[in-house]
Amino acid sequence: MRDRRRCIDMRLRRVRRLAAALAVSGFLFGTAACGSGSGSARAGDPNTLEVWTRSDPESAQTYERVFAAFTKKTGIKIDYQPVMNFDQQLQSRASTKDLPDVMINDTALMGSYQAQGLLEPVDPASIAGHDEITAKSWSSTVGRDGRHYGIPYSRQAMTLFVRKDWREKLGLPQPKTWQDTLALAKAFATRDPDGDGRKDTYGMVVPGSAQNGYVAWWGASWLWQGGVRIIEKEGSGYRPAMDSAAALRTVTWMKDNLFCGDNGVIQPSALTSVTANTTNFQDGNAGMYLTGPYNISTFDKALGKDTFEVLPAPAGPAGNDVLADGENVYFGARTGKAKQEQTLAAFLISPEGQTLAMTGDHQPVVRIPVNSTLDAAKVRGDARWSVVQKAYEDDSLQFPNAPDWAPIKQDTADSLNALFTYCGSDVKAGLKELNDTLAGDLKDQDLLK
Amino acid sequence: MTATVTTPGPRRARALRKKAVLPWLFLAPGLLLALVFKFLPMGKGVWLSFFDVRPFLGDQWVGLDNYTRVLTDHRFQDAIGHTLVLGIGMSLGAIVAGFLLALLLEGQARSLKIIRTAVFLPVVTATAVVGEMWRLMYYPTSDGLINSGLGLLGLGPVPYLDNPDTALWATMAMGIWMLAPYNMVIILAGLAGVDRSLYEAAAMDGVSLWQRLRHITLPAIRPALGIVLTLAAIRGLRVFTEVYVLTGGGPAGSTDVWMTRAYTLGFSRNDIGGASAASVLLLCVTLLLTVTVNYFRKRGDVR
Repeated sequence: MRDRRRCIDMRLRRVRRLAAALAVSGFLFGTAACGSGSGSARAGDPNTLEVWTRSDPESAQTYERVFAAFTKKTGIKIDYQPVMNFDQQLQSRASTKDLPDVMINDTALMGSYQAQGLLEPVDPASIAGHDEITAKSWSSTVGRDGRHYGIPYSRQAMTLFVRKDWREKLGLPQPKTWQDTLALAKAFATRDPDGDGRKDTYGMVVPGSAQNGYVAWWGASWLWQGGVRIIEKEGSGYRPAMDSAAALRTVTWMKDNLFCGDNGVIQPSALTSVTANTTNFQDGNAGMYLTGPYNISTFDKALGKDTFEVLPAPAGPAGNDVLADGENVYFGARTGKAKQEQTLAAFLISPEGQTLAMTGDHQPVVRIPVNSTLDAAKVRGDARWSVVQKAYEDDSLQFPNAPDWAPIKQDTADSLNALFTYCGSDVKAGLKELNDTLAGDLKDQDLLK
Repeated sequence: MTATVTTPGPRRARALRKKAVLPWLFLAPGLLLALVFKFLPMGKGVWLSFFDVRPFLGDQWVGLDNYTRVLTDHRFQDAIGHTLVLGIGMSLGAIVAGFLLALLLEGQARSLKIIRTAVFLPVVTATAVVGEMWRLMYYPTSDGLINSGLGLLGLGPVPYLDNPDTALWATMAMGIWMLAPYNMVIILAGLAGVDRSLYEAAAMDGVSLWQRLRHITLPAIRPALGIVLTLAAIRGLRVFTEVYVLTGGGPAGSTDVWMTRAYTLGFSRNDIGGASAASVLLLCVTLLLTVTVNYFRKRGDVR
């Protein structure tokens, strides 16, 4: 009987949520909103937490292991939903004012979520083990009003993946500067590093589409290395900074050398590629990829551990800072399960929770641990992770966390993609236009200084 | 006497009531589903288009601001232009291609049935899968299927999707490939109703193929073409998945269409009010176009 009622309850809930999801998306998004994440029988149960992560089936298996251990330890059940199109589903659920209890998603989205009122503020002191997270990590979860809106869960920094076997075959050194990288990319494209007698290899992989802001995400490391900041903090607000001399120099260098330079430095179709369809490195026809460390396990399986190396990003004129990002644990607004949520967060940041999420047969969901008592390379028994940890700790810069970053990233990506597409374009005029657009974005958020 | 007169009255009325209620009963599930899944969301969409949507902070009434913002955004204006080019090109291309396919594959032979089924496959294949397939076919090196064909002729390779001058046309070609078989089926149904004796008479009169098409086939399939045109008018402007999967609106926004722009507004920029306004505008234009096509179709039928 209870099962039947639960079943009916579940159906009603699904219908209500689906209807609401359709409602918010109106004519446009209705049918797309019927996917995962729409419904849980146990959402009302105080001893069950509904948890969403932005995960594919591979990384979802790691999360399932972590949550199983948590339930075993605390008795709190987890209704786990790995959601691929996270933000679309979240907007649908937001319209019903019935958010998941806990969400684990990108750090750069915190400002956007906070601006929409989707998050419950967090008092770090309420999370057991909060003192094992460094001040640097905690500082990245401070919102516009000075309160914390997330709990650091995983961090990462971009590193350069290079085909070691190709590089050694061509007798070239590890790249240390942009010029080295360019020379190596050209060699990979022209000197037949795979030895099949065909010109079918490329120097570097670039997810350069503007879709979902990809080119801004990939290009951020190059911008940081060129001394560029997309927006800069000024007093209590921000100002756009894409009209600087450094931005002009850096974007011009990228355009002339990577996108409009010698054919083969980057893979074909880069300008319409997102990470999901940029598989040239693991397919074995591209020699370098500046990307996140979550790819290590994928590349190990596809290419073999000994065929590639993980190196710090080569330095540009202003250093070798790379984009750092990661995931935070967020508490959905108005869920009323604070105690259970805090217990879960404490487990997730504990050495046990972090270690579970870093190991196993599937893709790790904690890359660099936020728990300062852990060492990524030691936990995994893999020295390559120390390169990532060092890059994160010493040479990394995150997107600013307080503003609503989504429009800023999208506008930057639209502009960069256009500049890289039209090789005859006027970079200075393009960046000036971008700067004006960014000023508009900041003004919309009442943050423009 | 009175009783004999009055008795059939209520009975007939009851029967009438029953007759009137029965169709509605059959329609009820469909109407209910349409109400819950179509008209209520539609109404909510129109409502949201007048707000700055912030479910947890309280929606703010902004009047026509969302509409003004959408219509004055130069990216949106470009996207509207691309939508019209793509919608009209895809619709007309798919009608012509569907018509040609229907002429080629009309008949009762068993082999034709198999070929028709094979030709119809793009319609039942998920658009996302078709998009990924065409991405591979368009691969801008000699490894790509189309470019390897061009290579045999000593041409190419052509960066179909990475060149802003060709990306929209490449997307259109894929759209035509997907939509033409659907039109083919409707036109085939129309062709089945053509009086064969007219063809025989035409053959005896020694008319050319073009004259036969123009004076017999096309007038006979006018109702089928009307349906195809109406569907094309609705579908052409709503193009989304094809573009989203194939190019993501790029490069440099050269394939951005109404729906991809609205999607970006809604989910990349979390501007649900703006996305709703864009969707309402699209609904209005689609309605207008459908009504216009129907008006001309009906006028043609009367004539």
